[in-house]
Amino acid sequence: MSILRFTAGYVPGISQEELAWHTLEYGDKDSRLEVRVPILMPAQMLVVTQSVKNACNAQIKTMDVSEIVRVIDQAILRLLDVNNEDRKRIDTLLPIATGMDSTMLRHNFSQYLQTFRALQLHRFIAEDFSNPKMLDEFQPRITGGWTKAVGAELITHIWAGNVPGLPLWSLISGLLVKSGTIGKVSSAEPICASIFAKVLVDIEPRLADCLSIIWWPNEDTNTSIHLFQQSDIVLAYGGNMALAAVQAQVPVTTRFLPHGHKLSFGMVSASALSVVRAKHIAAHAALDIVRYEQQGCYSPQMFYVERGAQVSPQEFAQTLCGEMAALAHKYPRSSLSIEEASHIASWRESHEFAMLQSPAVQVLGDKKDAFVVVYSDVPVSLNPSPLNRCVTVVAVDSLLDVMPLLKDQRSYLQTVGLATDPETLLALGDALAQAGVTRICAIGEMTSPAAGWHHDGRFSLSDLVNMVDIEASTEVTANQLTDYEL
Amino acid sequence: MAHDASSIEEELMAFLHLQEVDDSAFNAMALRLFKYQAQFNLPFQRFCQMRGKTPLTVTHWHDIPAVPINAFKDLDLTCTPTQNCERVFMTSGTTRGDIKGRHYHPSLLVYDTSMRLNFQQHLMQKLPKIRMGILFPTVDMMPNSSLAHYLNLSLKHFGTQDSSYFMGPSGLDTQGLSLALKEAQQTGEPIALMGASYSLVHAMDALNATGLNFKLPTSSWLFDTGGFKGQSREIEANSFYEQLSNTFGVPRSHCFNMYGMTELSTQLYDAGNNTTPSVKRGPHWLRTRVIDPISGQEMSQGERGILAHTDLANYNSVTTILTEDVGIATDEGFVLLGRAQGSQAKGCSLAVDEFLQAARI
Repeated sequence: MSILRFTAGYVPGISQEELAWHTLEYGDKDSRLEVRVPILMPAQMLVVTQSVKNACNAQIKTMDVSEIVRVIDQAILRLLDVNNEDRKRIDTLLPIATGMDSTMLRHNFSQYLQTFRALQLHRFIAEDFSNPKMLDEFQPRITGGWTKAVGAELITHIWAGNVPGLPLWSLISGLLVKSGTIGKVSSAEPICASIFAKVLVDIEPRLADCLSIIWWPNEDTNTSIHLFQQSDIVLAYGGNMALAAVQAQVPVTTRFLPHGHKLSFGMVSASALSVVRAKHIAAHAALDIVRYEQQGCYSPQMFYVERGAQVSPQEFAQTLCGEMAALAHKYPRSSLSIEEASHIASWRESHEFAMLQSPAVQVLGDKKDAFVVVYSDVPVSLNPSPLNRCVTVVAVDSLLDVMPLLKDQRSYLQTVGLATDPETLLALGDALAQAGVTRICAIGEMTSPAAGWHHDGRFSLSDLVNMVDIEASTEVTANQLTDYEL
Repeated sequence: MAHDASSIEEELMAFLHLQEVDDSAFNAMALRLFKYQAQFNLPFQRFCQMRGKTPLTVTHWHDIPAVPINAFKDLDLTCTPTQNCERVFMTSGTTRGDIKGRHYHPSLLVYDTSMRLNFQQHLMQKLPKIRMGILFPTVDMMPNSSLAHYLNLSLKHFGTQDSSYFMGPSGLDTQGLSLALKEAQQTGEPIALMGASYSLVHAMDALNATGLNFKLPTSSWLFDTGGFKGQSREIEANSFYEQLSNTFGVPRSHCFNMYGMTELSTQLYDAGNNTTPSVKRGPHWLRTRVIDPISGQEMSQGERGILAHTDLANYNSVTTILTEDVGIATDEGFVLLGRAQGSQAKGCSLAVDEFLQAARI
């Protein structure tokens, strides 16, 4: 048995020997991984927050946005090269840390990195700022006066580990608005953020002190409370209970941006249910389910399928089941904890019992399959699955009938994977928007949000800045205070 | 098809009274009950057909399909029609909204015999009776609680005349309890305090608030069951027994924990809690396996799995149930590690557990 070891985190200005380390363990009997994460003493924490703030003002704030985009692009390009040593390390470590299939992870990660190439980043910025130059200098306003978008001096990020590489979203967002970054990695996936930070600094030494990647145990509220007091913004991902605990520690003067529990699903209209189209859609739906084992906020947990086409909802469920079986072979499901396995088994069994009571419910496939597809011939309210490839397909007469079924989950709704014709697209979009959905995409794209998406309906970048206005009156006054006289 | 449960009850009563049984006797009785249940318990019959396990194909009790406890919420798992059943016990219904699991008993003859033989053997040992203090509502207050019935039975069969309940409609009778404990301390007559884990926490808190500590006589014992269920502060097992032992002056070897479920007709006990987690074991008519919930295969010793119990006293419902409890098999029984909480909240995908939590708030 071999044990791999990795040192996570990135703490500029303090030597490894001076730091305290905590070891996180992953893997099973056959392949094990030990990851060291740095823990900072209160005095060290003070040094780091101060130096990140100083470096932010002295370095990153003096760079042009286009320069920052170039640096990020180079870092991403390096990681897109599967022969690069840092990328190889990610490809080796992630499967052990997450338990997910290595081929699937490699593929997903490359696709994910694509989102952060220069072209996409520019679009990302343009999405939030009509004039991207306002991130560099005051820009004239049409109505008079001037405005500049000033990024926070210090953003603290609390990352979750459900989706590998998830920290890159907020980390890159922070860089684009020229903020200082302190990120807390999740115990579930401390790898990607650490490696990305090192690559970035290697490419642009001016960024060396502008960011720090650390860890602390959740029960250590002293560290978090102190850090949050120093931060302009606390951006946190996680379960709603974990977020509530974080929120309680954030002072009123610090902006809190939570990304909590979300629930996503798919909808397939009759127009997509010809024999040829249905198979294609089912294959894409299966990919959305399999990617990240449904652990993403955007991962589908149910599919509503319209009746009345050549392929019935039940046949669609069977096709989906076939596609899931094929993917189970190609990308084996992650290793499950006993708790996860028990949850899945009891979910499956509860549907088997429902099947005994009503012919409207069907559990497709075999108990030993590495996935569960449940079919319901009667409308069922949107509800979460136990994840790890468990999904319900629900038949409806019309996709508009789905809206009342979403009511109880309004505050949790996020992505809808939608396959429908152009005639109904906007009407369904309207209805879904009204129901509380914030993102609609093609089935097959659910786990790959477009660059510049409005995560949970919010602005990725403009939430991270203060818009600073110089009003027209100041300019008028200034014009009266010249050395020369007119 | 009408049937008479009395002959199988008789057979079972004789079986429970045996001193010990070997594998083949256990197997024979389990298969006898499986045949009976697969014939008369109709939802179970359909479940067996769905699983492809019928009396014709099953030759070993390991292969009897284990029914998940959730099924007791959806189905009437009974051989005798419900209207002919003397008693129904219901779960407290904390995990799935208001839907409660129901366990029907045509008569309580087997249930009570199972309880008495097992209680005598594991808790009373040589003593015929002991003074009891019950920290749980009476049967009148909770007619569908199997625990209320169990404690009532303990008191009736094993309690001395001066035993009593210290829980009334208005809650814990702290004064009555502390009087009884003081009295026991003075007379030197042993006392057994029994209740839900959370009611013992309430009792400790109430006694500690009045500055009271006891040193109960030798042979006294404490009994808790069921965990805290959000009804009191949560205490980690080790410190729970430490606090119990300190408050009442009873060694941890005499602090017993009972593992029982509404869906079973037999309880499991440990031999005290000197160390936690303790090893639980049942009598000869109950066997526990630790299995992989998806494949149904038994885990090897030392590996974590989900507990499946085959309780032959469960003659009217199903002998074999699949719990949601995680445990590890040992030579003497199993170590209980707690309830499987489902997918841990790793991030922002809403999973069933958190959903339920959210729905309850």
